[in-house]
Amino acid sequence: MLDNKTRMKLFKRITKILSNEHVTMHETDQILNAHDAWPLSEAKIRSGEVLPLADLIVFPESVDEVSKILVIANELKLPIVPVGGGAGTCGGTLPIYGGIQLDLKRMNKIIEIDHKSMLVRVQAGVIGIDLEEEVNRLGYTTGHTPTSLRASNIGGFIATRSGGSMSSLYGKIEDLTLGLQVVLPNGSIIETKAIPRHSVGPDLRQLFIGSEGTLGIITEATMKLFPLPEDRRFRSVSFPDVHSGLEAIRKIFRVGILPSVVRLYDPEDAAFSFSMHFEFEEGHCMLLLAFDGASKKIDIDEKQAVRICLEEGGTDHGEGPSKRWWEHRYDMYYPTRLTTAGFAIGDTIDIVATYDKLESVYYAMKDAMEAEDAVVMSHFSHMYQNGGSIYMIFFTSQPDAETAWATYKKIWDAGVYACHREGGTMSHQHGVGLSRSTYTEDELGSSFGVLKKIKEVLDPNCIMNPGKLGLGVRK
Amino acid sequence: MIEQDKIAEQVRMCAACPKMCRHVCPTFFAWRSDAPTPHGRALLLHQEIVGTRKIDERGVEVLYQCLECSHCLTWCKPEIDIATFVELKRQELVKSGQQPKGISQLTSLVSAMHNPFDEDHSKRNMWIKISKSKGPKVLYFTGCTAAYREKDSAQDTVYLLELLGYSVEVTPDEWCCGSPLIRTGDIETGLKQAAHNVEVLNRVDAEEILVTCPGCYRVLTTDYTENGYVLNKPVLHISEFLAKSLDKLPVGKCDRLVSFHDPCHLGRHSGIYQAPRDVITQVCGVAPVEMDRNKENAMCCGNGAGLRTLFPEYAKKIGAERIRQAKNVDAKYLVTSCPFCKEMLDAQSDELLTVLDLPEFVMQFGKGRDVKTD
Repeated sequence: MLDNKTRMKLFKRITKILSNEHVTMHETDQILNAHDAWPLSEAKIRSGEVLPLADLIVFPESVDEVSKILVIANELKLPIVPVGGGAGTCGGTLPIYGGIQLDLKRMNKIIEIDHKSMLVRVQAGVIGIDLEEEVNRLGYTTGHTPTSLRASNIGGFIATRSGGSMSSLYGKIEDLTLGLQVVLPNGSIIETKAIPRHSVGPDLRQLFIGSEGTLGIITEATMKLFPLPEDRRFRSVSFPDVHSGLEAIRKIFRVGILPSVVRLYDPEDAAFSFSMHFEFEEGHCMLLLAFDGASKKIDIDEKQAVRICLEEGGTDHGEGPSKRWWEHRYDMYYPTRLTTAGFAIGDTIDIVATYDKLESVYYAMKDAMEAEDAVVMSHFSHMYQNGGSIYMIFFTSQPDAETAWATYKKIWDAGVYACHREGGTMSHQHGVGLSRSTYTEDELGSSFGVLKKIKEVLDPNCIMNPGKLGLGVRK
Repeated sequence: MIEQDKIAEQVRMCAACPKMCRHVCPTFFAWRSDAPTPHGRALLLHQEIVGTRKIDERGVEVLYQCLECSHCLTWCKPEIDIATFVELKRQELVKSGQQPKGISQLTSLVSAMHNPFDEDHSKRNMWIKISKSKGPKVLYFTGCTAAYREKDSAQDTVYLLELLGYSVEVTPDEWCCGSPLIRTGDIETGLKQAAHNVEVLNRVDAEEILVTCPGCYRVLTTDYTENGYVLNKPVLHISEFLAKSLDKLPVGKCDRLVSFHDPCHLGRHSGIYQAPRDVITQVCGVAPVEMDRNKENAMCCGNGAGLRTLFPEYAKKIGAERIRQAKNVDAKYLVTSCPFCKEMLDAQSDELLTVLDLPEFVMQFGKGRDVKTD
């Protein structure tokens, strides 16, 4: 934290760029704006702890203001922590070294819709659901509907390589983002053109997608749009085990079918999520499928997908479980009395692997995490032609804060270690933030050095979101 | 009264939520900060309850940056009513003298003038033209906004009731209903208004009390009763009242799109959604076109619970957004059933969208038509 004199000086300089009402040093604002939705932060808040605070919070409205703020921060070598919706699950916006939190929520303009090219240009602070509702009115969808849609911003989606529940068909945010405007740590404003494909060297846009505010601040993006689907249909199939369910998924993609939703719940998660509402055999898994598009095409795809499922030993349960999940897909995100009681804490390690490794990663992680006193249940979701993601959901409840936070860390360590050992990748869509920061070097292996060098060149003073993504860790 | 441990549990859950309702919070819309949001308010309350940190001056300001519109409740699966907890906390703040200065001034004004507008009490509602009629007697509790700021709405209410065959009474002794005080935490001064009004209204010979302001409606039907101030006649909101007499309403024709803005105190707080829509449909022959955010999901106009008093520019921003939402569905008339909402929305609108209170709308589109009588 800065001493008061320096802080006041900084405040005076910043308020020459922004009016006083958009700059705050109040402790109350620092506390209320400090955290994202990282379960450890939430558990600590519940137990009465105060999280690390920024020295100053700024709410710029334009890219020029962002640029001017970065020039000052760079000159003073002050940490800059960009904040989007504050809905991330990895502590990515926690100002662990103080400095300036640069909150982008006021940059919330939907600038332009190009109907011919089906593109929308937006400022980074537009909330996901506001954009989705606006384009829905015009007959489009962004195709990006993560569970945090109501709370996350476009900039946050891009900064964390976010994935929506229908990424199997529409793609993840790195597929949906065509152009970017970024402010570099020295205040320079750069743009990458919004184009579908190119062959002009490496794709620099991708350098910033997933950079989590460590290389610059994303201020604007041009996103793909899709026509709203003529039809959306749901289907559910139970399987006796994870293996047969995964085989069905793999073969569905192999024949060229792209369902919009593919989610295979393991026996524990299937029992937790569906047994209260639907009859299916005990110990079975549940596969949820959805198909978006023209009705005639869906007819063919759905029929063929179900045939594959039945050939793999599945039992058809019609639209019930799948449709119910769709209608209640945000429910699990709400806190409950149980999950907020005492020192209870739950989290998700959303890993990704190719089909040849998925099962071994799943079993290895499950065993390792359960050995650390975790209740684990999982579903395979966000599936693609070559593999997909597993949501390793865990929950633990301990008698005191110290034990709870230590157990939480042990579960994470065990889970990520097992994931890496079996050839998986530790995050599919949640990003790295603080929760995975210490594992980044292991994850990236020989390529971590490249990332570090890029960081050194772009951010020599190491002001950008230090401590996140395994970069800029200070003593 | 909600038990303290129940409040603590609910506040804890809200403080641990990943902000699932924030996107509809009008004050989040206005400030674009995590402070004036349901989650922010809950976090302040939670930290005080568990002893982490007391609410400071800025915290008090945040707790008054709330419209108590309860829109967050519509989106809350665990059904945590943060607006109520904010109001309870405001009561404590008033008791300990920590309320913002603007709120103390509001209280003083209402106590001295019996209205929040610093207007002469003697000029409250005696200007209203009332005809002599022999129909059933109805007592029209005008409320401060209609009496002083939306006079056309007040006069049209009387004309409309007379058109329907009622004999209308207003009372010059009527005081502010107390809503602005109760909602901002001064329950004691609010209930002084209640005591006076109950005494005055109970003396008037009428079959029913009719109100057009949903803020008045909520306190007269809920807060008064909960605090032992009992009216001796039923209280009806104008929309319910008119919906009971649909076949008697003047029928006109509206050639342009009409939309309806649900006042928070009428909709989410009192559960009245259909009655005003039925009235509009009857009068203009077609149902109002719905804005994307309607009924339980309707956005607040920005005027409530002291926000306009303390933060007028932010309140206007919220009102302007509601106007934008109405224009989004190509509405040319925006009808509401609240003089207070009407005043805010009208001030933020332009010549492309006409804002009317329900009685004004009925009179404008049905005036001159024969009224069916029994």
